[in-house]
Amino acid sequence: LPAGLSQWFPALEVLDVSGTGLTEMGMELLSLPCLHTLLAKNNRLGGPGSLPKGLEQAPLARSLRVLNLSGNRFSEVPPALLQLRGLRSLSLGGNRLHGIPPDIQELYSLEFLYLGGNFITAIPPELAKLPSLRYLVLCDNKIQSIPPQLAQLHSLRSLSLHNNLLTYLPREILNLVHLEELSLRGNPLVVRFVRDLTYNPPSLQELAGRTVKTRNVPYAPSDLPDSLVRYLSLASNCPNPKCGGVYFDSCVRQIKFVDFCGKYRLPLMHYLCSPECSSPFSSASQSSTSQSESDSEDEASVAAHRMQKVLLG
Amino acid sequence: MEQPVQTETWKARSLEELVRILHQIFAEDKVSVDEVQALMESYESNPEEWLQYAKFDQYRYTRNLVDNGNGKFNLMILCWGEGHGSSIHDHTDSHCFMKILQGNLKETLFEWPEKKGNGEMTKKSERVLRENQCAYINDSIGLHRVENISHTEPAVSLHLYSPPFDTCNTFDQRTGHKHKVTMTFYSQFGERTVC
Repeated sequence: LPAGLSQWFPALEVLDVSGTGLTEMGMELLSLPCLHTLLAKNNRLGGPGSLPKGLEQAPLARSLRVLNLSGNRFSEVPPALLQLRGLRSLSLGGNRLHGIPPDIQELYSLEFLYLGGNFITAIPPELAKLPSLRYLVLCDNKIQSIPPQLAQLHSLRSLSLHNNLLTYLPREILNLVHLEELSLRGNPLVVRFVRDLTYNPPSLQELAGRTVKTRNVPYAPSDLPDSLVRYLSLASNCPNPKCGGVYFDSCVRQIKFVDFCGKYRLPLMHYLCSPECSSPFSSASQSSTSQSESDSEDEASVAAHRMQKVLLG
Repeated sequence: MEQPVQTETWKARSLEELVRILHQIFAEDKVSVDEVQALMESYESNPEEWLQYAKFDQYRYTRNLVDNGNGKFNLMILCWGEGHGSSIHDHTDSHCFMKILQGNLKETLFEWPEKKGNGEMTKKSERVLRENQCAYINDSIGLHRVENISHTEPAVSLHLYSPPFDTCNTFDQRTGHKHKVTMTFYSQFGERTVC
């Protein structure tokens, strides 16, 4: 950036230096008090010095609303960027990112986040801590799974996940009630439930623990070794609302296909306490399991119905 | 549309002239697909002439009506943000011409799914259309998906549909299942349409 920029143009609000071959943006940015939009796409930014030091104290940290760094060479999100607390819109599309830093949650005003066209393999749950996020683009990456916490993005209106490596989605995705656009094409989503043949049956300790919990067998700390008292306190409730069971370490992952109002069938991952909890293949008490299965499917379909405006493509 | 006896070679020197010639062509009983495609391709995109119609939406691509061709055709401008794409769709027995005004669009052609569609749809071909190129499709050719695959540049395209239509089917690539949708305009004649 030319020296003296802030002296010549002190009132500068929008700066577009896209396609200029820039390798770094220096101190000149720090003295632009009114800058709210910085467009620097298609440059050679990505190395040290891409963003100036001392950003935290500069007016830019509060004034900058829009930052476009797409088409550069960033292999990681520069820590300095996370100082831009006023940022509403950030684009790092078409760079070389391998991940998203958990500290992304520092950009608490963020509404628009474009990360398409990188090499991202995983999404940190901290991304869900952005309360104003409305538009999230993660297409054309290498993402294998979506953390269920992402359903906490209450403001999310548009989610782009096409061309990744997803085989299923978390069931919690049905909680994104404001979602209007969702793209999933180009993912190896399973179309048939393949029974997990490597299910490891629970240990005797687990079976005993489950019995104590589900039958409310009374016990006092003096009855058991400390380690078992601690163990019993770690019981998790089975996520199946029709089941009163608990599990400790051994739970079953099962994919259920949820019908989005007759349009698309999406594989959603459910966690259950045992294969008998809700399984189409259970031979014992066939009618009761199929009832619980169709009930939980109805529940999911109702949730899916809420998302009927969602455009799946 | 059938081949008339003589095919004109048109050169549209502005968007206004393109619209005028289209009205002239479509006033006839018979219109040639090749003639319209050549006309569309002859217009050299000049942003000053279409900027007023190019209204972008941050979440998805927009359809902006330019001219309603006296009921014979619809001419519209579509604005595609980075990463925006359409679903796989048909064209309700109409002709569809698509010319790139800015940027690039990837067109992927698909075969029609089998009656009892229950498998992955078959891709026929794909190509990236460059500025000023004009593609043509109709239901007998197949179905397509159009997308802006750029993560850095928006794209703008000019579409002509004849006869005009406001519903079509979208298709799930994994299963071939179709679903009827109604299309709306984001703006008409340069004015934002309020829903």
